[in-house]
Amino acid sequence: MENKYNLKSPAVKRLMKEAAELRDPTEHYHAQPLDDNLFEWHFSVRGPPDSDFDGGVYHGRIVLPPEYPMKPPSIILLTPTGRFEVGKKICLSISGHHPETWQPSWSIRTALIAIIGFMPTKGEGAIGSLDYTPEERKALAKKSQDFCCEACGCSMRSALLPLTSNSNPSAEDRQAKELAQQIKFKAESSIIPQASTSGSKASTVTKGETSSSSEQQAEERPQAEQAEASPAADPEELQAPNDSGPVRRLSPRQRRAQQLSRQAPRTGREPVASRALFGPAPRRDNHAASAVLIVVLTLALAALIFRRIYLANEYKFNYDL
Amino acid sequence: MRSRRRRKQISIAKMAEEQQESSQGEMEGVNCLAYDEAIIAQQDRIQQEIANSNPLVSDRQDLSVLQREYAEDDTVYQLKLKDLYKKYAYIRKTRPDGNCFYRAFGFAHLESLLDDSKELQKFKAVAAKSKLDLVSEGFTEFTIEDFHNTFMDLIELCEKHPRLQELLNSFNDQNMSDYVVVYLRLLTSGYLQREHGFFEHFIEGGRTIKEFCQQEVEPMSKESDHIHIIALAKALNVSILVEYMDRGEGGSVNNHIFPEGGDPRIFLLYRPGHYDILYK
Repeated sequence: MENKYNLKSPAVKRLMKEAAELRDPTEHYHAQPLDDNLFEWHFSVRGPPDSDFDGGVYHGRIVLPPEYPMKPPSIILLTPTGRFEVGKKICLSISGHHPETWQPSWSIRTALIAIIGFMPTKGEGAIGSLDYTPEERKALAKKSQDFCCEACGCSMRSALLPLTSNSNPSAEDRQAKELAQQIKFKAESSIIPQASTSGSKASTVTKGETSSSSEQQAEERPQAEQAEASPAADPEELQAPNDSGPVRRLSPRQRRAQQLSRQAPRTGREPVASRALFGPAPRRDNHAASAVLIVVLTLALAALIFRRIYLANEYKFNYDL
Repeated sequence: MRSRRRRKQISIAKMAEEQQESSQGEMEGVNCLAYDEAIIAQQDRIQQEIANSNPLVSDRQDLSVLQREYAEDDTVYQLKLKDLYKKYAYIRKTRPDGNCFYRAFGFAHLESLLDDSKELQKFKAVAAKSKLDLVSEGFTEFTIEDFHNTFMDLIELCEKHPRLQELLNSFNDQNMSDYVVVYLRLLTSGYLQREHGFFEHFIEGGRTIKEFCQQEVEPMSKESDHIHIIALAKALNVSILVEYMDRGEGGSVNNHIFPEGGDPRIFLLYRPGHYDILYK
């Protein structure tokens, strides 16, 4: 690899250094450049143990721009997590979606730790984000270990060091975690303005699915939005306990997928298989209900106006015909 | 009865709004990704245009070039220009890319040290030690050392008494120049965080010093304010004089020395949003 690249290029110099630094897998992450391209890396990260991603080891790509580290890397997941979309650039303040907040002193390691730190946070409609149910995420976590990457030859079962029960994070790891926390904070504040519109819309749709009465929906909406805005709100709290299908806030893409699947026959009901196929009926009911309500209200209005005119002018109608 | 009617009208309007909103949401889902990338591409184009018409650090020019930049009947600026002519003879412009303060400072200071080897040695010692200070503050050594090395390379270049053009070439090499800017930003951030007890009173928006540094100091292209200048001047123990030329009344340019009471060797011209280098 050494003679293929211009060693005077700052990006090459830096990436060589990072490749050496990250050569050995840790318990939580590992990343190395592809054999034939220093500017494309593959990584594996372990899901945080105290989350729905416990037991998962996920795989993805990092694409470095020629200006690295002056410009941020792009991060793309290759295996499903239920938190990030597969095959789409992730929108973190540390990734290529927010070049204005990237810092040249951050590194690929910072990015890996940021991804791990980001998993348990809510997607809130940000680009490339998903909000799957805990059950789906746990199922995906279990499945994730079966993945073997053809491009880099990594098997998820052996990609990382096994977790030890009394693992003492090194000073370096602690430092990096602290850094990731700052990133997390920043990304949240920078995502909110963008997410607030689509987030509240998502809540409207979801609410429409849980409650069939649209009046109830109008009343409940403000509270639901408040609950979403507060960071402490548990996604499970928003679920209707007796609802048969899984209910969640959806990314725009999922909503589209759901609408497309409305025509499709309802088959699997198990959490993973029903991802794109759940709950088409309630949404249609809601549409019909609002149409009926509009007609009824219009008729009522017309009747009232008619009566007012009738009273004012004292028209006489011939009812006997 | 009327109020009931109104309520119904409102509820109808509300429903129509909601329907519109949800269809808008779907549109956004389709477009936002492409939209995001389009914005980034446009910003890149604008940056490219600025880059094509402005070198990172220009040659030294006669101060009278400024005359052309202002309308003749713009009395406020014409008066201030006259005042500026009394004190300075030349100007060296920097590219307006949000990094101009750091680039102007870096170049002007090293240039002033070219023929003062005693001061240069003092400065080299401060600069050499600065990396250890940053590492002990929690900056990751292997990511900041490239920036530090580039900075030290430039100082070592100055030790060899190069022609001015060599220093200018280095500062116009995008890679090298940007690495120096990154390191000066790190020094500024490091000093602000070290002296957070003092500086946190000047931070707007309820942010901590750390957040301020993450958002306004360390990312490239974030513009500099008083607080950045004081921090960098103190971090490197260098005195900076800034002449402020804005639309304020008075007919004269006001200057400010950072830190106060210093004996400045470098002079910068501030016009709203931009710094250039001045020479007597």
